[in-house]
Amino acid sequence: MTFELALRLTEILLGLALFQQSLEFLRASGVEQKLALLRAPLSVLLMLGVFPLVVCGLLVVTSFLLIKRFQGPYNGGSDTMSVLVLLGVWLSYLAPSRMWQEIALGYVVLQLVLSYFQAGLVKLVNPEWRSGKALYEVFALTAYPVSESIRALAKKRQLLLCACWCVIIPELVFPLAFFTQTTLIIALVCAGFFHVANAVLFGLNRFVLAWVSAYPLALWFQQRLIELL
Amino acid sequence: MQGKVFTMNISNTIKLVLPILFPSWRFFSGIGVSPRFDVAFVAAVGDEPSAWIPFRPLPEALTFWQHFKRFVHNPQWNEHLFLNSCAERLFDGGGDFYQQEIATHLLNAIHAGEVSAAAAGRFMCFRIRAIYSEDAPANCMGRVRDDVVFQSGCYALSMQGSVK
Repeated sequence: MTFELALRLTEILLGLALFQQSLEFLRASGVEQKLALLRAPLSVLLMLGVFPLVVCGLLVVTSFLLIKRFQGPYNGGSDTMSVLVLLGVWLSYLAPSRMWQEIALGYVVLQLVLSYFQAGLVKLVNPEWRSGKALYEVFALTAYPVSESIRALAKKRQLLLCACWCVIIPELVFPLAFFTQTTLIIALVCAGFFHVANAVLFGLNRFVLAWVSAYPLALWFQQRLIELL
Repeated sequence: MQGKVFTMNISNTIKLVLPILFPSWRFFSGIGVSPRFDVAFVAAVGDEPSAWIPFRPLPEALTFWQHFKRFVHNPQWNEHLFLNSCAERLFDGGGDFYQQEIATHLLNAIHAGEVSAAAAGRFMCFRIRAIYSEDAPANCMGRVRDDVVFQSGCYALSMQGSVK
C-alpha cells in the first residue's frame, strides 16, 4: 500500500471514529457538547480530505481541550489511540520532508504494535490470565458485560480458559505478522474481529474504529519495512 | 501570580497529555475492584436514605438489533464507563473533581427520567459499592465481596450538579 493511499484511508476511518465520538457527546451538556458541535463537522471534513492540515490541527486542539475537561481520556484506550493517530496524521502534514512524514506515521504503527504486544505480555506473566480466572472475573464481577445473559458466560470455565489463551497468544505474536503482507492482513482481520467481539460483549464500541483507523498505516509500514530490509 | 498560574496550567496539561503520547497498553493486566452506583432520595439534607436504587442495572439480554444499535451509537454506556473510571480514581484517593463528575452525570440522568425520584425527594445522594474477590490462588475464586466504600452528601434535585 502506498504512503498516500494509507494516509487517505486512515483519514477516512479516523474521521468516522471522531464523528462517532462527537455524536455521542451531543447528548451531554457543557463544554463537551459545544466541542462535539465543532468536532462533528471537522470529522466530516477529515473524511473528505478537505484542508487536512487545518482540520487535523483543530481536531488536535479540541482533543486536548476534552482531555483537560475530563482530567484524562474520557473513554480510556480508545481516546488515546484516536489522539495518537490524529497526531500522527497532523504531524505528517507538518513534516518538512518525506522522512519526517514516515517517522510520524511510523510512530503510530509502533504504538499499534505495542498496544497488542504489551497487552499480551502483561497477561502472559499474570497467573490469573494463564489459568482462565481473569476472564472469569471480568464476566462475573466487573461492570463490563452488557447484559445478564453475557455475564452468565462466567459459568463456562473451560470456554474462558480457552478464550484467555486465544487473547494472549495472538496479542503476543502480533509483531511477527509483519514478516509478510499476507500474515499481516490475516492478523489485522483477526484483530478487527477481536475489537468487534469486545464491542458486543463489553460495549467497547469506540475501540473498533480507533484501532482500525491505524490498520492502513500498518499495511504501508510493512511494505516500507520490507523495502528497507 | 498570573505567571505562576500559567506555569501550573501548562504543567497540568503536560501531565495529562504525556500518558497519551507515550501510553502504556496494559489492558486488563489485573482485574481490580469494580464499582457499582446506587442512588437514593431524601427530603432534607441530613436525612438517612431509606432505599437505595441501583443505577442503570444490566438488562437481562439484548436483541441482535439492540447490539447493532449499541455498536454504532452508545453514549449512555460510554458515559457509564467514564463514571466507573471516576469511581476507580476515587478509590485511589482522587479529588473532588471525580465526585462532582459522578454527581453531575447522575443528576442529569435523573432529570432525563432514567431514575424516578421519590415524591418527597428533594435531594439525591449516591453511594459506590466495590465488587471484588478476596485474594486466592490463581486457579481458585476468592470469596466475592460487595462493600460500600463511598457515600456522598446531598445534591439538590433542582440544581443539576450543585453541591449543597
